[in-house]
Amino acid sequence: MDLEEIQTVWSEMTDQLEKQKKLTTELIMKMTQERYRTKFDKITFYETIGAVVCFVMALYLLVNINKLDTWYLMACGIFTIALLLILPVITLRLLGKIQQMNIVKNSFKETIVSYTKTKNQLLLMQRVGIYLSFVLMFTCLPVFSKIMNNKDLFLQGKIWLTYIPVMVIFLLLFTRWGYKCYKNITNSAENILKELET
Amino acid sequence: MGKEESFTRIIKENEGLIFKITTIYTENGQDQKDLYQEIVYQLWKSYDSFRNESKISTWMYRIALNTAIGQLKKSKKHSNKTGIDQVVLRQTESYDTEFENRLKMVYEQIHQLNILEKGLILLLLEGKKYEEIAEITGLSETNVGTRISRIKQKLKSRILKK
Repeated sequence: MDLEEIQTVWSEMTDQLEKQKKLTTELIMKMTQERYRTKFDKITFYETIGAVVCFVMALYLLVNINKLDTWYLMACGIFTIALLLILPVITLRLLGKIQQMNIVKNSFKETIVSYTKTKNQLLLMQRVGIYLSFVLMFTCLPVFSKIMNNKDLFLQGKIWLTYIPVMVIFLLLFTRWGYKCYKNITNSAENILKELET
Repeated sequence: MGKEESFTRIIKENEGLIFKITTIYTENGQDQKDLYQEIVYQLWKSYDSFRNESKISTWMYRIALNTAIGQLKKSKKHSNKTGIDQVVLRQTESYDTEFENRLKMVYEQIHQLNILEKGLILLLLEGKKYEEIAEITGLSETNVGTRISRIKQKLKSRILKK
């Protein structure tokens, strides 16, 4: 086989390759999957840390629940524990679900439908979480105050006058920032998916 | 058009080029796949530095060949040699057996060359002029000419031996 023959075979193969796009399509799908997943890595990390903090707090309340000696403190305690356990679990589950979506296996339509559904659930959960955190603000302070200092804050009106405005401002700013982060990440992940259509 | 979109389009348009480089620089299907991914990754990493000062194909050949040579040098330290049979020669089932045999012979000839010669013959077969080959490989035009005539002699002498 001389160089001319090699050249002929090579040209023929080049022509054939021009017609095929299999390898790159596969690879691009895999790269998209990776880029899509990493979009949620940072938020999942912070949510996991948040969840651990919530669980530790819930455990602390559970261990000391007998110190809550009135019905309203007990009700606040149970509500706080429930929220500290349920909210992070639901959020992490939804994040896991959205992150594990298989772009390579599913069709574009299936991916987008499933993504939109989970994204809406995640954002709804965040909005519910925001409203609940305002309620939590009223329940957790008296509970912790009773357990740690043996003081019933419901009987001391003064502290609420400073605590409530400060906490409302803090929560408004923090939850707005948090929700914006979620919106940005989910929009950016959606854009990655939409690139697959082109 | 966004950066990612234009990059994807360029890769799709030139995937044959990457495929051919992976075929001559690897000895089994898995290495070939890995090299393909590595080349695309390296192209993506250096995409920002591509400023249209050279042709897109020149830039791609340069990055792809450097990546392939780098990988080959690394893997040679713990190489496990296998035959050309295990390299994926085609992307679909559209080749006939006769053509595939001829293609296999071509790759066998190329596989017997050294690392740099493989790159040079590939560029020559791709129809590149000495000037462009020099730009891609960083060799002088005269050096390219000398090396290519040596490759031609090597190929000829092999044919005579057979």
